[in-house]
Amino acid sequence: VPLSLRHPWSPYVAGIGLGLVVTVSMAIFGHRLSGAGAYQHLSGFVGRPLAPGSMYWRTVVPTGVTWDVLVLVGSILGAFVAARLAGEYGVRTMPDRQWVDVFGPSIARRWLLAFVGSLLTEIGGGIAGGCTASLAVSGGAVLAPAAFIFMLGMFGGGIPTALLIYRKEAP
Amino acid sequence: MSAPVDTVAPLLVGFAFGGCLQKAGLARYERIVNVFRFRDLTVLKFLLSALVTAAIGIRILQVLGLAANVPIPTTYIAGNLLGGLVFGVGMALSGFCPGTVAAGAGEGRLDYLIPGGVGLLTGAVIYGLAYEQVMPLLSGWRRAGNVTFSDLMHVEPWLVIVLFMELTLGTFYWIERGRLMGASGLGTHEPVATRPLE
Repeated sequence: VPLSLRHPWSPYVAGIGLGLVVTVSMAIFGHRLSGAGAYQHLSGFVGRPLAPGSMYWRTVVPTGVTWDVLVLVGSILGAFVAARLAGEYGVRTMPDRQWVDVFGPSIARRWLLAFVGSLLTEIGGGIAGGCTASLAVSGGAVLAPAAFIFMLGMFGGGIPTALLIYRKEAP
Repeated sequence: MSAPVDTVAPLLVGFAFGGCLQKAGLARYERIVNVFRFRDLTVLKFLLSALVTAAIGIRILQVLGLAANVPIPTTYIAGNLLGGLVFGVGMALSGFCPGTVAAGAGEGRLDYLIPGGVGLLTGAVIYGLAYEQVMPLLSGWRRAGNVTFSDLMHVEPWLVIVLFMELTLGTFYWIERGRLMGASGLGTHEPVATRPLE
């Protein structure tokens, strides 16, 4: 395994890599990078039976194995291979660090907050018109105001929440 | 576009995307939450590097006439901002964003794969069920449509790109100035120690 694949990358290097991926995805294939979108395209499998008359699943989002869903599958595989080559792959139920210091060792608590947090990011991404990948990165890459307004909101929601969670620790 | 390209291309795009997230260490709880505490600016460096690179890359392909129809997201201030706020709260609680959930699952993290994946899907269903009631209220106010800054300001796109690049490089210099003045240079990030795996 080449040395470069055994060690973490500088965020600048990894960011340039991501920028090239976004360039190809947006300019060659005409698709925004997908994060939240894949789950919208899978949601119809549950949502359509729940609300058969909903115009959301009839006209707003497609349901099925779309471009976005395949990007999701690819990204799981890409992270798996990168982690294996770096020796960082390992089946774990909890974050490696920091979580236990604040929330304690309960796996149930971690999994509950992981569920609630990811649910909020998906709803927020829906309202905003995209997530970190499909709006902040893909929209920012074409310098669309939407991306920067979204990032303002993201930090505006994230900073007070994090400060509240970590209020007992010195800033 | 042909069917094999439609299948293979998104898998490859995703593969490279997930690989970059993993190499930057973004599928880690503390990485995400600590950017909101100003303790670890990895996310910011990663994001801004990607934006500048892609802004230049996409513009070059457009100028050369090699670009497809580049999608421009919709600017509607109330929705972009409110959605961002909700998104940020969820991110700080879980240490996830939808893209890093996939990367974490690939690293073998079950808290990403199971409650993360189920949470994202549940959120998408809830959003879909509420869509008809909520979105007309949010998408109408201050809606500018599918525009870029250069569209709004009626200026050459390169002007905005160069300005953005200068702001980003200035930010990087400001972040790294201590390190730059020391012995080590840009890009020598000491690998973050991870707990040895069982």
